[in-house]
Amino acid sequence: MSTLLQDIEAQISGLKTSVTRQNVGTVREIGDGVARIEGLSNAMLNEMLDFGNGIVGLALNLEETEVGAIILGEYTGIKEGQEVRTTGKLLQVPVGKPLLGRVVNALGEPCDGKGPIVTQTFYPVEKIAPGIIKRKPVSQPVQTGIMAVDAMIPIGRGQRELIIGDRSTGKTTIGMDTIISQARLNRAAEAAKDTSYRPLYCIYVAVGQKQSNVARVLAVLEEAGAMPYTIIVDASASDSATNQYLAPFAGCAMGEWFMDNGMDALIIYDDLSKHAVAYRQVSLVLKRPSGREAYPGDVFYLHSRLLERSARVGEKFGNGSLTGLPIIETQAGDVSAYIPTNVISITDGQIYLETDLFYQGIRPAISVGLSVSRVGSAAQVKAMKQVAGRVKLDLAQFRELAAFAQFGSDLDPKTQGQLERGKRIVEVFKQPQYNPMPVEVQVAALWTVQNGLMDDVAVDKIKDFQGKLTEYLTSRKAALMGKIHNEKALSEGLIADLKAAVSEFKQTYK
Amino acid sequence: MKISKQARRDARQLFRACMVREALDENRVRQAVGAVVQQKPRGYIAILSHFQRLIRLEVARRGARIESAEPLPPQTQAQIQADLARQYGPGLSFVFVQNPALIGGVRVQVGGDVYNGSVQGRLAALEQAF
Repeated sequence: MSTLLQDIEAQISGLKTSVTRQNVGTVREIGDGVARIEGLSNAMLNEMLDFGNGIVGLALNLEETEVGAIILGEYTGIKEGQEVRTTGKLLQVPVGKPLLGRVVNALGEPCDGKGPIVTQTFYPVEKIAPGIIKRKPVSQPVQTGIMAVDAMIPIGRGQRELIIGDRSTGKTTIGMDTIISQARLNRAAEAAKDTSYRPLYCIYVAVGQKQSNVARVLAVLEEAGAMPYTIIVDASASDSATNQYLAPFAGCAMGEWFMDNGMDALIIYDDLSKHAVAYRQVSLVLKRPSGREAYPGDVFYLHSRLLERSARVGEKFGNGSLTGLPIIETQAGDVSAYIPTNVISITDGQIYLETDLFYQGIRPAISVGLSVSRVGSAAQVKAMKQVAGRVKLDLAQFRELAAFAQFGSDLDPKTQGQLERGKRIVEVFKQPQYNPMPVEVQVAALWTVQNGLMDDVAVDKIKDFQGKLTEYLTSRKAALMGKIHNEKALSEGLIADLKAAVSEFKQTYK
Repeated sequence: MKISKQARRDARQLFRACMVREALDENRVRQAVGAVVQQKPRGYIAILSHFQRLIRLEVARRGARIESAEPLPPQTQAQIQADLARQYGPGLSFVFVQNPALIGGVRVQVGGDVYNGSVQGRLAALEQAF
């Protein structure tokens, strides 16, 4: 109580001393979430403008005689002739650990009904990306739990990896599997009191998604126990274009807090195609000139400044990382369209999902030939590097030979062997959704198939074999799995143990 | 009305011609308007419309509006005029208005800048702070 009185006194005395100068203007035109304001001579770019009654806007167009501003929130109450004030502030969102487990909108306001978010720190939504000196090379892995990704297209902490594909090919599922996998690893490290493990917090930004989809994502994450390590930023399809335009930047600001404070974060932008469409709408209503496909001329800069903020920074500059997984939806598999090519050139690699593979039953439908990770094996643990080094090559050779598979028995034994091995590898990489696999299980499965121990199992029984092998190893040989997990490399002893365990299992397998 | 780019350009040219040493010259403006009305070039209504808007904005930019709850004595008025002229340069036009809603104090608006020293203004700021 006593501090309250002192605070009020201080505020009143603060008001007594100065007559502040404000810059005002009047609304000349309002419509479609955009206001054109006359006057306002001191407005700066991206400055927050106060329309009264708690409505704020962002000044985006600074013209000779007027200012074009986008309204954040309900714009139907604004009238022509209304007074508008500059605030001298940039748009900021709340950041910090209190946001974990919450669903917020593009301005950081909670929309999950669990009460207000209490935080002292606010980060600006638009920020310049870390410079060259601040960055550190990417060397720590993000274990997505999806074997195809962790083995052949490994993602590192601080990398940007694009997930690109047609509709309904499993793009969001890859993101969700990653979140669930991280939550499991975080929880396991907490339970084992392992201080050397750096937990990875996840942010899922839903831009222009159906609200039913976001609700489903939330339900899946809650069921998997992943929400305590996740923030969901929601700007769904019924939100204004302004909110959809700002949501990825808000999510990025939240991720930057983790990066600046020695922690690792992962952000999934689902998806950037709809973000570009929202930005196009905002730009066209602001009467900015349009370019190719009616997108404004700076649509590349829109995504590049967003994605460049995902980085790994050095010890003196925060000692954290922000990994970016942008998602782009293509039309009819056309990766050479405008927005997909833009984002491909910005990111450090892509995971390309194909509808053909999806309908053939290969799920996740990752096209191994077109997918690449420019960080590569620097982001893999040694054990995975040992077993997965050759897998990409084997699959590439298998794909080349697959055309000859039609000839069946007319092939020489070596080609036949490659075909059979390739089919088994493809089977092993199939994985059900929301079922991430820990790295030691992946290493065991890959080692088994690479060393020919699955060659005598029929192709259609491979998934069953793998499932039962996994169960066997995690229940009966938990110590061996634990050793692989801790040592992160396959020493001679571990390989011998693994060989013995698999042979033992094969004897009991029917 | 829809004002074409050409009409805007012409109006802007006309406006710049009426500016003498960073200030608007009233005579030139009247002359310009008279000439356009007489000669009626293509799109003259659009040109005049946009020209009017530019003049209006310029007058508002260089206009000072001083509101007070009670009429100010001539000495205070002169003081305010001198202070504003010093800060914003010569050529300001002054309007003194009585506004009882301010309760007390003075609210000065020069173009887009507002200095609100009135009681009403401070109460509003106090309300905002809470």
